[in-house]
Amino acid sequence: MTADSPATIRLDGVSRWYGNVVAVNDVTMEIKAGVTGLLGPNGAGKSTLIHLMSGFLSPSSGTVTLGGEPTWHNEQIYRQIGLVPEREAMYDGVTGWDFVLYNAQLQRLKDPKEAAKTAIATVEMGDAAGREISTYSKGMKQRIKMATALVHNPGVLLLDEPFNGMDPRQRMQLMDLLHELGRQGRVVLFSSHILEEVEQIAGSIEVMVAGRHAASGDFREIRRLMTERPHQYTIRSSDDRALAAALIADGSTSGVELLSDMLNVQATDYARFAHQLPAFAKAHGVRLFEVAPADESLEKVFSYLVAR
Amino acid sequence: MNATIARLTWRSLLGRRRAILLMVLPAILLVLAVVFRLAQGSDAEPAAFLLSSFGVAFLVPLLGLIAGTGSIGPEIDDGSIVYVLAKPLSRYSIVLTKLVVAAIVLAGFSALPILIAGFIMAGGDSNVAVGFAAGSLVAGFAYSALFLLLAVITRNAVVVGLLYALVWESAVGSFVPGAQSLSIQKWGMAITEKIIGTRAEDLQATSPVALTTAVILLVVVTVGATAYAGYRLRSIRLTSDE
Amino acid sequence: MSQPAEHGVIHDIGFRHYTGPRLGRGYLLRSLYAESLRGAYGLGRSGKSKVMPFLLLTTITFPALIIAVVAIVTKADELPVAYTSYPMFAGLAISIFVAAQAPALVSRDLRFKVMPLYLSRPLTRNDYVLAKVGALISALFILIAVPQTVLYVGALLAKLPFWAQTRGYLSSLVTAALLAAVLGGIGLLIASITPKRGFGVAAVITVLLLLSAIAGALQAITLDKGKPELAGYLGGIDPGNLVDGVQVWLFNAEPASQIGPPGTLGGVVFLVLTFVVIFGCYGLLLLRYRKVSAS
Repeated sequence: MTADSPATIRLDGVSRWYGNVVAVNDVTMEIKAGVTGLLGPNGAGKSTLIHLMSGFLSPSSGTVTLGGEPTWHNEQIYRQIGLVPEREAMYDGVTGWDFVLYNAQLQRLKDPKEAAKTAIATVEMGDAAGREISTYSKGMKQRIKMATALVHNPGVLLLDEPFNGMDPRQRMQLMDLLHELGRQGRVVLFSSHILEEVEQIAGSIEVMVAGRHAASGDFREIRRLMTERPHQYTIRSSDDRALAAALIADGSTSGVELLSDMLNVQATDYARFAHQLPAFAKAHGVRLFEVAPADESLEKVFSYLVAR
Repeated sequence: MNATIARLTWRSLLGRRRAILLMVLPAILLVLAVVFRLAQGSDAEPAAFLLSSFGVAFLVPLLGLIAGTGSIGPEIDDGSIVYVLAKPLSRYSIVLTKLVVAAIVLAGFSALPILIAGFIMAGGDSNVAVGFAAGSLVAGFAYSALFLLLAVITRNAVVVGLLYALVWESAVGSFVPGAQSLSIQKWGMAITEKIIGTRAEDLQATSPVALTTAVILLVVVTVGATAYAGYRLRSIRLTSDE
Repeated sequence: MSQPAEHGVIHDIGFRHYTGPRLGRGYLLRSLYAESLRGAYGLGRSGKSKVMPFLLLTTITFPALIIAVVAIVTKADELPVAYTSYPMFAGLAISIFVAAQAPALVSRDLRFKVMPLYLSRPLTRNDYVLAKVGALISALFILIAVPQTVLYVGALLAKLPFWAQTRGYLSSLVTAALLAAVLGGIGLLIASITPKRGFGVAAVITVLLLLSAIAGALQAITLDKGKPELAGYLGGIDPGNLVDGVQVWLFNAEPASQIGPPGTLGGVVFLVLTFVVIFGCYGLLLLRYRKVSAS
């Protein structure tokens, strides 16, 4: 079931400080439908941002709105928001089913039992729902938390470090679920510092470093925008030596490393390099077998951003 | 008022360990009442003494502390309150629901045993049983509201509440006459005094606070604390542990 | 760019195993003891955790200070409050300290399931209990002894007879040690039951106050019935009275409850009971921590 045109989350010049410590510094961003990854090292302000967006923290300056409505002191936004908090504690001595049901009831749904059943089925916890939460593994607890966040079919999902402590199989399941939810047109925002997941499912990322909004968008695009870092490529061709000589002579590279079976190139002038490489290859009669960007992984982008 | 929150709070307050702690004091009260009765026969004087010293001055504030802070404190402490807060529910209604549950639990473990103990020790003599039960009931409401508020405001609610109930109300109250007017116990005692009527003075069941003043103060504290707790709950921070 | 690896290789980036001397279990024990003792006064923890213990320490010392100053200024013949009576007089403050700080020592470790970390070191469960109990008892001893010391210094400055005062002071230190051991053991035992700190505080204070109330009530009844000896024994239900009874017998102090233990037999019984309580609580704590999981 798709939610119809969920509201956008908008942060406008938002700062949050505690005395002398600035947790979030002048952040402006818009979170739209689809899966967005909130990325940043620990202490970068990711949790603070999620608390701001979910109405559990007020901005010291700036505005945080969901569909135009401020999130602070506004209980009604919880009809549209599903929050998956980071902390583990849930109610003791309750079964998974009961817990999701309580959440459905607290959401004042017309048919809480149906909603709970659907939510539990979505997270594939149907078999274990009858057991007490205290007997669940960490991954199961995460899934029950997700069920409570989905029970009212919200247009917006905020997940605080949802992949923490999950094994690869559980991660894949959760990623599939998030991907599907994003595809349904919901706004899905999750925070993480595990780059592989973000890379795989996030349509766009928001990077936070030391409280500042360092970058946003598709990470490959971000990479291209980072002109002060040389782009690195590996090239396999029929005559690496000749290619290397030509590239060195041309001014578009800052370093060419000739290895036994490939070429590592640091291109400073990306545009010129991209233009010149095929020309050189043709001129010297070299066949290009593989030209691959070596640092366009999210990890490299991230490490560049963090190191600035 | 919210049925689900009421159910959750009820289960949390009457969880095994907390229930045992809540039961210990009234059980002792009843045992003492029986022992007194067997030793002294039916007599209003020792009844009033026991009910005011052990009941009103000790049992009611202590159980009020356990029930009041226990109705919301553990959830705030371990962060599970987020599941209640991330819902389209008015914070005031959340607080009110929890207060009602705490007050009912408290009444069951304090006012009711006090009533029974009073009857055991004094029969219907001088309305001692009813008087003290009524005073405890009303004082209990005020204590629950006050301690619930404390639990919303600070993570150290139990210790702060202890200092208030023990140090302020009992110790300081005995030394500083003015302090007695600011004591929930004494407000409850004003109601007890009224119900007991003429024998109140020689039963030492009097209160330095006039009845009207006491009732007003009780209402103000109960309503005010609840309202303020709801207000503070709107801005509560979801912190990480400690 | 990294070289393509032929087989798996572990690169030497300078990590070194520690090959120096390793301090033994004794050091571990002492460190845990010291850290717990400091924690009981909030030292080494956040500012908030210092408020309660220091507030109580100030509250308990303040009257002693006043008494000492008054004694000096008025050139009194003797202190209005005996050294041995002071802890009984300040019983409430001491009880609140136990209630507030015993959970602070043990609840955190239980709540955050840190015990496996402690136990994966050469520290045994018994060591852990010994360190924690030792720390709380020491913290309580400090709490009780500081005002007594203030009184003693005041008495000396007021030029009261040296040997009488010193005798009184030293005997009160013995009382302080016994009281600290008894209350510390009981408080820690109760607090170790629950990982929830708030509940631990409530449980400890409830039990301490309850014992006091029951002892008082039973004493009142038995005295009324004309049975002073029974009343004397029943007073021992309250741990504070128990220790008080010992000092009534040993040092001829003034009883703080309505009546002290009767005669020599009473005194001996109370002394034995005191040690039963101290070692009993310790034993029960050892049993309790045997159940804590180490993984």
